[in-house]
Amino acid sequence: MLSDRLRFRDIRNTSTFRLTAVLGLVFALGVTVLLGLIYLLSARELSVRSDHVIRQVSARMMAAPADRLPAQMEIELVRGSKGLNYYALISASGERVGGNFDPPGPLRLDRLVDIPALPSQHGPLRILATRTRSGETVVVGRDISPILDLRARVLGILIGSGIAIVLSMGTAGVALSLRPLRRVRDLQRASHEIAAGRLSVRMPIAGRGDELDLFAGTVNVMVEEVGRVVAQVKGVTDAIAHDLRTPLTHVRVHLHRMQLLPDPKVTAIATAAIADLDEVLERFAALLRIAELEAGGRRAGFRSVDPVALVARAVDLYEPLAEERGIALIARPGSAPPIRGDEQLLFEAVSNLLDNAIKFTPAGGTIVAQAFEAAESVRIEVRDDGPGVPADQRQAVLRRFHRGADTDGTEGSGLGLSVVTAIVHLHNFQLDLADSQPGLSATLVCSIE
Amino acid sequence: MARILVIEDDPATAQEILAELAGHGHEVTHAAEGLGALDRATREHFDAITLDRMLPGLDGLTLVAQLRERRITVPVLMISALSDVDERIAGLRAGGDDYLVKPFAAQEMAMRIEVLLRRQQEPSEDALLRVGGIEVDLIRRQVRVDSEAVRLLHMEFRLLEFLARHPGEVMSRRIIFEQVWGYYFDPGANLINVHIARLRKKLDRPGLPSAIVTLKGEGYRLDAI
Repeated sequence: MLSDRLRFRDIRNTSTFRLTAVLGLVFALGVTVLLGLIYLLSARELSVRSDHVIRQVSARMMAAPADRLPAQMEIELVRGSKGLNYYALISASGERVGGNFDPPGPLRLDRLVDIPALPSQHGPLRILATRTRSGETVVVGRDISPILDLRARVLGILIGSGIAIVLSMGTAGVALSLRPLRRVRDLQRASHEIAAGRLSVRMPIAGRGDELDLFAGTVNVMVEEVGRVVAQVKGVTDAIAHDLRTPLTHVRVHLHRMQLLPDPKVTAIATAAIADLDEVLERFAALLRIAELEAGGRRAGFRSVDPVALVARAVDLYEPLAEERGIALIARPGSAPPIRGDEQLLFEAVSNLLDNAIKFTPAGGTIVAQAFEAAESVRIEVRDDGPGVPADQRQAVLRRFHRGADTDGTEGSGLGLSVVTAIVHLHNFQLDLADSQPGLSATLVCSIE
Repeated sequence: MARILVIEDDPATAQEILAELAGHGHEVTHAAEGLGALDRATREHFDAITLDRMLPGLDGLTLVAQLRERRITVPVLMISALSDVDERIAGLRAGGDDYLVKPFAAQEMAMRIEVLLRRQQEPSEDALLRVGGIEVDLIRRQVRVDSEAVRLLHMEFRLLEFLARHPGEVMSRRIIFEQVWGYYFDPGANLINVHIARLRKKLDRPGLPSAIVTLKGEGYRLDAI
């Protein structure tokens, strides 16, 4: 059974989704590499520049004579850009004698080192310590928080865009899969309907000329052909039934006149002939009735029908017949919401189910009829404890003229269930035949109004 | 005897209807064309009309609608080759009183005419129907056989009421099914038979033949016994 809801599992399995996912993955990988490269290069470039500035300042300091170092440091401090640079002059004895920060010791000479931020004093620094010939140490530092900031931002952008890419690819995958999946759904639904015998149904064609359309078109041609053949066969039987009814009715009139003749022998023969003829006429009438129902289009007569009352009335009608055969026919009380349909036809369908059950249930058996609500539908069930129908024959019994293997001596045209099927099709309902162990349960599955 | 107008363009069918109704002792008049038939039905008095659904000049549905518009209440039996229930509803909605599908047994048609004529004769609901020893009290919904009360179920009562309204007339199982149960499909011979058998059992009196007679292949009749 197809549900109307599309589950993620269904979407995940579509080829479109998989294709989008693979493409998305490749794309995401590419973008990651690209962004990573940009990140690495720009981070390196910034560090290189910053280091260059430090070395330049350091070189200028080293070029100054020893006694002018503190003065040079003051100049550099004033010149220093936006408070990013830090300086320290440490005497040979290890005391700070100039500059604006205290470098944490011990210092490694002539190497650029990162030191962590010291709150309320300075941010994270990169420092270079150099020793003058006179034994003092000059420390030049540069605040690298803008660089770290920038790095963090680039990293954030990298991760954010990675997530965005994955998400948008996923969404695109779902969105792209949805339409073909819906179309496959529609195709599946149509094919189920066709399989259920509605040969007037066609596979939907979107008009894009894609592979689904091509496929649907091919199936439609097939269905068309099957429908034509079926209609031809049925048309012939219906035509025979229709054309023979008028002359047979006339024959019946003649036989009736014979029945009224004074000769009792003639009367007896005429009566027997009329009974046989009536059976033929009944069968023809049933055939034409099915043809008429299948011709369809009776929705205009649909109104709200109470399924519980319907079952009660039908059981009322058939109870005497069941009793005569020694069968208990029971309407089990139940509750069900109203359904939309043609009351006359639904009653006819339920009557046929009851008639059938009575025919195939042996004396002493029980038939239970009930209308109830289950799984968002109303079910009208007729359950007997007769011999049942083997699973492999259940489709066959719905066909016209089909009669069970050992039904010798059971009257009937074999058209009853076909009438039910036709009525059920007309309503877009469903007829389920199932084993009720023992016996058969026939259920009309009706959609709720 | 009643005056009946037969509106039918097919000569063979018309002949059959005319012969059957004449055989029942009615005075029959034939019209083969719609406009002329409407004219006649307006000017003259008829007790019942059989009306073909498809006619030259004016179709059956329009004709019966026109009759009703002119406040002519004569009972009309629509006859049609269209058997679909929708067609029946359309026919009855337009103002027809009953609907018969072609091909039909002439007897069946005559039975339906009798039902319509009877309905016409009893415009006021009788309080009591009496057929031989059987009394059907329509107000109290009670049945007495030889003054003795008999308990009937709801549908049994309606079945007896219908037969008692047409005493001595044969009613086919389809007419019974339509008039008593209100459904328009063929229920099969057995079904109505068992209902009749149940009713018969309740009404039977020792030493007397059954009041309900079964005529094989034709129908059932309630006799005054």
